[in-house]
Amino acid sequence: MAAWLVRRLAASIAIIWAVVTLTFVIVHLAHGSPCGQSDGRPVSPEVCAALTRQFGLDQPIWVQYYKYLGGLLHGDLGWSFALQRPVADALAEALPNTFTLALTALIVDFGLGLALGIYQAARERRFADIALGNVALFVNSMPTFWLGLVLLLVFAQRLGWFPVGGPRNPILCPRVDSLACVADFAWHLTLPALTLGLVGAAGTARYQRAAMLEVVRQDFVRTARAKGVRERRVLLVHALRNALLPLITLFGLTFPFLLTGAVLVETVFAWPGMGRLAVTAILQRDYPIVTAAALVASVMVVLGNLLADALYGVADPRIRVRGA
Amino acid sequence: MPTIRPTRRLTPAAALASLVLVVGCARKGGCTGDYCGTLVIATAGEPDLLLPAVSDRAVTRDVADQIFLKLADLGLSGNTVGDEDFQPLLAERWEWDTPTTLVFHLDPRARWQDGRAVTAADVAFTYDIYTDSLVSSPFRSSLRQIAAVTTRDSLTVVFRFRQRYPEMFYDAVYHMRILPSHLLREVPRSQWRTAAFGRAPVGDGPYRFVAWRAGESLELAADSTFFLGRPHLRRLIWRFTPDQQVAVTQLIAGDADAVEVLITPDSRDRARADTQLAIYPYKGAAYGYLGFNFAAPGDTTKPHPLFEDRELRRALEMSVDRAALVRNVFGDMAKVPPGPMSQLFWIWDPETRELPHDSARAARTLTRLGWTDSDGDGIRDRDGHPLAFRLLVPTTSAVRRQYARLLQEQFRVMGVDVQLDEVDFSVFNERARAGRFDALVNTWNTDPTPSSGIPQSWTRAGFGRSNYGRYENPAFERLVDRAVTSVAGRDESKRTWRAAIEILNQDAPAVFLFATENVAALHKRVTDVRIRPDSWLALLRTWRIPADRLTDRDRVER
Repeated sequence: MAAWLVRRLAASIAIIWAVVTLTFVIVHLAHGSPCGQSDGRPVSPEVCAALTRQFGLDQPIWVQYYKYLGGLLHGDLGWSFALQRPVADALAEALPNTFTLALTALIVDFGLGLALGIYQAARERRFADIALGNVALFVNSMPTFWLGLVLLLVFAQRLGWFPVGGPRNPILCPRVDSLACVADFAWHLTLPALTLGLVGAAGTARYQRAAMLEVVRQDFVRTARAKGVRERRVLLVHALRNALLPLITLFGLTFPFLLTGAVLVETVFAWPGMGRLAVTAILQRDYPIVTAAALVASVMVVLGNLLADALYGVADPRIRVRGA
Repeated sequence: MPTIRPTRRLTPAAALASLVLVVGCARKGGCTGDYCGTLVIATAGEPDLLLPAVSDRAVTRDVADQIFLKLADLGLSGNTVGDEDFQPLLAERWEWDTPTTLVFHLDPRARWQDGRAVTAADVAFTYDIYTDSLVSSPFRSSLRQIAAVTTRDSLTVVFRFRQRYPEMFYDAVYHMRILPSHLLREVPRSQWRTAAFGRAPVGDGPYRFVAWRAGESLELAADSTFFLGRPHLRRLIWRFTPDQQVAVTQLIAGDADAVEVLITPDSRDRARADTQLAIYPYKGAAYGYLGFNFAAPGDTTKPHPLFEDRELRRALEMSVDRAALVRNVFGDMAKVPPGPMSQLFWIWDPETRELPHDSARAARTLTRLGWTDSDGDGIRDRDGHPLAFRLLVPTTSAVRRQYARLLQEQFRVMGVDVQLDEVDFSVFNERARAGRFDALVNTWNTDPTPSSGIPQSWTRAGFGRSNYGRYENPAFERLVDRAVTSVAGRDESKRTWRAAIEILNQDAPAVFLFATENVAALHKRVTDVRIRPDSWLALLRTWRIPADRLTDRDRVER
């Protein structure tokens, strides 16, 4: 087990280093400059030159890379040109927002997806199965931003049940320091999390239905029923545990995707998270933020896969890893 | 085939409804009277830092103008010539010792928000910072005619100019927000952009800084002791949105009270249909143009193969129906400018001579120049070369992309093949600055005066800067120089400007497409709203929400 863990960690560090290096090189080689027009006003060449010097952009790319890696090893992610603040500070504010959004969306995605998949499998080829299958296909086919806009239009603008954007009411709850403000935060979180989670849930339901149907046709399920085990137990203990393996793979991929792929949802709902931060940084050629966003994304992918590997073992003892 | 028997029906969840109920029990406060208003402003931008010396973003200016004061400011007339129309702020009065020596007397009541008095030393320090090459202020070049700023006593400060010109007073007061020397003196000049002060400033204006949640909101609170009068709105909150459409959506949904500008006809219609909102039109600071590159793309030593030809440029300009383009893109919210100018400019004169829209004359000119469709493919050609060019446009601007497509079609009808180079904004900037384009659709946001923007963008002084197309005409430049420096009076200056612009128009270095008219939208409970076009929140401290119109948002206490 320890050797496996060491190998995985070494591979993970290599992957993260490769992603950071590639991102660093690509963003620096991309056309464009962090010093352009500001709000439709020309920026003087003298100001541009001073900024370029100040942020070390006049140095060869390998020097910049060396300095960046050196800083990274000391926990320094650099200074954002566009935000005029340490990258670490910007990430520290954006990451919790994105984590909360992604985790909530994940709960919607897998909670609803699992329940629907099991329910559909239990009613295979009946009306409920067919109807839910078609609805799931429809929702799964929707672009996330479009679903977000529809939810926003209906539930925020027309009905006024939810706020149209942002993570909190800036007047009542500038900080989440009371129960009312926790509720306010949850209220603001609902539509973006549903947007992100519903589309995923539709896909998860289809995976889960297929996996359940495959498992319930196996001998051990028939045996369990023949032994008189109650149907609920057969379904939720014997069958579900064996039908979870494909879902765990999906989970390992989905979590980092939710973290990094929430760009459009964060834009539609003015949610100040990593996605919005990264997109703005790309447009402004804010290299340190772009590289840091790639670093965070790669760490999340690696962690997601590690978590999935660990969960395999929980779900199926046969594939628990032995040492060496 | 084995199947699973259903075990239990799914029960509907009611968590969301109960959550909404909990949130509905929001705290309500009890502020009453004339000083309770809260204004929530939705905006698509966010300040980079609240240090006005090193940031020229519009949203930074909007916020910083509530925290820091200028010596004096433009009046509603927008007149930048002389000092008659300026309003006192930090300076309670001023006089001219000599034609090039301006003396300001500071208001002795002025205080920094930490209690210290605002002094002449702060003004001298501010000038020093704005003009220090290590600080690299974007306003440094605007202060180049000021030779020195010195103190006479703790409340008297003297500005000495290099020469006499019409906008001396404007230059002295408009660009600088006075900064507290006692709090900033120790910040190394090369590190002003990273100063902690920029994220938690202490000023001398009507509002104090409260909090800034990056990507989310920024809050200011009224300074009840402000020496020019307590502001009626006790709290200002900027909500940062990813784009203008989201800002408008927040306004319509009631999550915000104000947006600076409704850009698209759709957003204006949405705001007009909302009975809770009031609409405030005001002159826009932007103008847009199709600019021709006089140099070969990427090689400024060679002329452009097409656009060095003045007659060709004039023909292309005459083939464009600018009025139809404005109607199509902006409806009634923009005008065709009579030259390179926004509606802010006091030199705006619809009588300025321009090339007319005349497709027949344009076609005749092209034919006379030898550009005919010899092979019947719909595109004019000469000596085997098609009349074709590429048009650079940024993908981030919906307005400019729309213009590019409409221009492409108008040129196609004339037998001119235009291909669009749609690139992201950073690439657009880089290519424009390097001259790597045939033609581009660009927009400038201008100062209230033509004296800075026109020389920067349309004279030789702008080469390598913002004169991307490298247009030059000595006759035009002589007139611009005379208009900028002449002290003969505003009328004479205006005549000189008009003569200069007419020369430029006849040269057709660009097709001047639009000058925007802005529309702000505010909740109707906000009254006494006056908008100064160059800075829409400049007079915010005089806006109010009457006691009988307060909502829960205004009354709430924390």
